[in-house]
Amino acid sequence: MSSPTRNRVLGHLDYVGLLQPAIHKETHAPYPDEVTNEQYRAYTRAAHDVGGERDVPISWEEKEEEVWEHNTFVTCEVLAWRGVWNAEERRRRQNVDVGQTQYLGLPYYGRWLLTAALILVDKQFVTLTELHDKIDEVKKRYE
Amino acid sequence: MSKPNYDLEHHVKKATGIGDPQCFKDEAGEAKFKVGDKVRVKDLPDVFYTRTQAYTRGATAIVAELVYESPPAEDEAWDNCDNPEWFYSLIFRQKDLWPEYPDTFAGDTLETELPERWLESA
Repeated sequence: MSSPTRNRVLGHLDYVGLLQPAIHKETHAPYPDEVTNEQYRAYTRAAHDVGGERDVPISWEEKEEEVWEHNTFVTCEVLAWRGVWNAEERRRRQNVDVGQTQYLGLPYYGRWLLTAALILVDKQFVTLTELHDKIDEVKKRYE
Repeated sequence: MSKPNYDLEHHVKKATGIGDPQCFKDEAGEAKFKVGDKVRVKDLPDVFYTRTQAYTRGATAIVAELVYESPPAEDEAWDNCDNPEWFYSLIFRQKDLWPEYPDTFAGDTLETELPERWLESA
C-alpha cells in the first residue's frame, strides 16, 4: 500500500527511530534491573536544567522575532490573564513536560505554541478532536 | 467524568495592581537565613520539576540578599500557592562550581536565587 500519506507516515516512523536520548546508546523501554540510579536520575531530571552539561559551542545569531512568535507570546499572556495558567506552570509545561527530545529539537516559540494548545486540551477548554479538526481545516487552506 | 471547576481568577485577583511576587509579601514567616550567612544547597529530589540548577547542589554560597517571598517553583508550577517561602540571592565562587575553573579567574562569582527549602546552614 503506497500513497503520499503512507510515505510521509513511514518516513516519520523511520525518523522517530533515530530519536534517542543523547547518551548515544540505543535504549528501548529497558527492564527495571537494567536502569542504574545514575540513569534514573539522568532520565527524570528536568529537561531545561542544562547548566553544566557538556556540549559543543553553538553559534549566536541575532534574529528578530517573527509575527507568529509575537502572536504566540501574546496568546500565552492572555491565557495567564484569563487564569488558565500562571507563568511557572507555563514554564514547567514548555520547558520540562515536553521532554528532552522536544526541548532540544523544537524552536523556542514552537514549544510555547504547542504548550498553549495542550493546556487548553488538558483543562478541557477544547477537546483534542476539536483541535485536530481545526488543524486539519487550517492545513487544507494551504494545499 | 465531569469537568473540574478551576478558579480562573484567583491569581489575577491576588496580583492585580500589586505584582507577583510582591503579592506574597509577609506570607512566608520568619526567614531562616540572613545576609552574610553561609549556606549549602541540598540535593533534594527534583522529579517532575525544579528550577534549582543541578550544578548548585552540594555547593556552598553566601547569602547576598533576601529578595522576595513566593511559592517555590515546584509548587507554583501546579498553581499551588498556599506555602510561600523566602527566596535568597546567593553568591557562589565559580571555582566551587566548576572543578576545572582556571585559577587566573579565582575571584569570579555566580549569583542566583533559590527558595529556602533548598538551603541548609554550612
